[in-house]
Amino acid sequence: MRRVLYLTPIVFMVVFAICPILIMVAISFWTRAGFSVVPAFVFDAYGEFFGGARTAVLTRSILTALLATALCLVVAYPVAYLLARRSRPGFVRVVLLLFTIPFLVNYIIRNFSWAYLLGRTGPINETLLALGLVGAPVDWLLFSTFSVYIGLVSSYMPFMVFPLWLVLAGIDQRLIDASSLLGATPLQTFLRVTLPLSLPGVFAAVIFGLVGILGESAVSLILGGAGYELMGNTIMSATNVLNYPLAAAMSTVTVGLMVLLLVVWYRVADIRTFLGQIMGRG
Amino acid sequence: MNNLSQSISRRLALQTMLAAGAGTAMAGLPWSRAFAQEAVLNLADIGVGDPGNWNLFTEQSGYDVNLVAIGNAPSAVINVMLAGGGIQTFDGIHIVGGMQNPLAELGLIQPIDTSRLPNWSKNTFIQDYLQPGTPGHDYFYFNDQLYGIPTAFQGESVCYLPDATGETIDSFGAMFDPKYRGYVALEDSYANAGYKAAIYMKTAGLAEIDQPTNMTPSEINTVMNFLIEKKKEGQFRVLWSSYEQAVNLLANKEVYVLDGWEPMVLDVQARGLDCRYAVPKEGYMLWAMSGYITNNPNRSEERLAAIYQLFDFMMGPWYGARLSSMNGYLTNPQAAPFAQANPELFEEGEPARVAAAEENGRAKFSNGKYWQFRWPTEVHTLEAEWARFKAA
Repeated sequence: MRRVLYLTPIVFMVVFAICPILIMVAISFWTRAGFSVVPAFVFDAYGEFFGGARTAVLTRSILTALLATALCLVVAYPVAYLLARRSRPGFVRVVLLLFTIPFLVNYIIRNFSWAYLLGRTGPINETLLALGLVGAPVDWLLFSTFSVYIGLVSSYMPFMVFPLWLVLAGIDQRLIDASSLLGATPLQTFLRVTLPLSLPGVFAAVIFGLVGILGESAVSLILGGAGYELMGNTIMSATNVLNYPLAAAMSTVTVGLMVLLLVVWYRVADIRTFLGQIMGRG
Repeated sequence: MNNLSQSISRRLALQTMLAAGAGTAMAGLPWSRAFAQEAVLNLADIGVGDPGNWNLFTEQSGYDVNLVAIGNAPSAVINVMLAGGGIQTFDGIHIVGGMQNPLAELGLIQPIDTSRLPNWSKNTFIQDYLQPGTPGHDYFYFNDQLYGIPTAFQGESVCYLPDATGETIDSFGAMFDPKYRGYVALEDSYANAGYKAAIYMKTAGLAEIDQPTNMTPSEINTVMNFLIEKKKEGQFRVLWSSYEQAVNLLANKEVYVLDGWEPMVLDVQARGLDCRYAVPKEGYMLWAMSGYITNNPNRSEERLAAIYQLFDFMMGPWYGARLSSMNGYLTNPQAAPFAQANPELFEEGEPARVAAAEENGRAKFSNGKYWQFRWPTEVHTLEAEWARFKAA
């Protein structure tokens, strides 16, 4: 019975995660034949990917993911810190509950809501005009790099608050007290005790943000304007013309990047440290 | 009775009770009808083919219709049919035509026997617009074999807000006119925006293009360079990708000129705005809705007869009139006279809208020059170049 329990998640992962990824990697080496694909071992799809305009999309996706994740972290860390170290339990429960609301709203609807708010005739521009702060609607609020980052940060920041809050709440208060008793200022205590101890959570949060944003397609599609392409969009575009080897090659590269991030996370901040810390066994 | 047999009989009794209970419960659910194979025809549709109800067809045939939404992108259609088991699930699909080439080559649809479609011979639009040797013919035939059943015809143009543009628009060139810089939206589709740009460039003498909806690689390159140049000048506000998004862009006056579909104009007008569909001097880009019968070898002859009956109904007057009044499409020559003669079957004002749609549609086809190729010869080059435009 115990063996079955151990095997269940492994079988689940193999069937629903590992096998599809292996199939995807295999198809990336296949060739197109008419409207179908035939098994082969050629690098045509990779040549098409790295030899065309889509490498610019990959570069943009990586840079966007890095910057958006950094922005998410800048917002999420102080929020998580205040909740974990400076707030009453009742207040924390309410705020964390509020942070789950974005998960309950369909992400397409959430992005269309942003489009409405940031549009030329949307409430923000109307208010700016009514207050006389601008003479004409501000165009760059929507269909711009700005609106893409607004969409990404609002979508992924809540994912990052939870691991940060978990790890910060798990830090032993006696360590903080000891630092103070030894004469450290609050800033020194934060920099030398709290921050290093929270790094496993920071890495977890960064992974949640980076991996999600790297695979994002809806935000750029709805808020990006005239062709703000990310990898998710260009992969979909290739499947639209049944170019499955190319779509698989681009997906393989993207997944490869994500795996690389996970390896770095595992090497730099062992996941067991993170789990141990949040479970009080650090 | 020993323990084993007791346990088996208990299990059997429980299973029987559960099965009976579940069966009784499911019989009461509306969706259970969809699975009663002999009573319901399953039709995959891209969303514009829903007449509101199928009561008339059900009265005539005894079959109900279960309409299931399907994406219009070639991959969406083929994926549903091939990987999703669509040839077993669906009796027919109703999508923008011109897709019979990949669908027939992959064995997903079957040839059409027009003798089983009484309304075929009554549809003079087929003789008018789908003559052999014309691009319209190629929209339904593959290797001289008929695969598609035409249900609606349409000419593609540009939506615009005359109050904002301050003038009547009569050219695809409005999408590239510096007067509307930053107030233009294109569809995120090489088969719409890309083709319309090519039609404009050819007509305006900006490029040598033989067939704007089926270009060579070098022609595609020229058109995309033009689009990239315009994009860098800030001509386009957004590339839209969903129907509602496009309607909202016009209704909120986010853009004034939109590469879009005529039903969007009707939806924007319903919100109280003056919105129009341009009459392009370059000629409309033509397309048509097509019904395809899935190639299901396990289908009974009775069921095959029923799906023929359904598509014949969709070529008929009532269905045609409904589609004309709802979407502004040209459907079949029987629709307008039927709506006029049977106003009790329609809502108030519908017969007039049907007549207007027919007149409008005939005008579009008399001014239509290019049929939209759904699967052009250089489709992969076109997609790659469209990706270059978007990434620029």
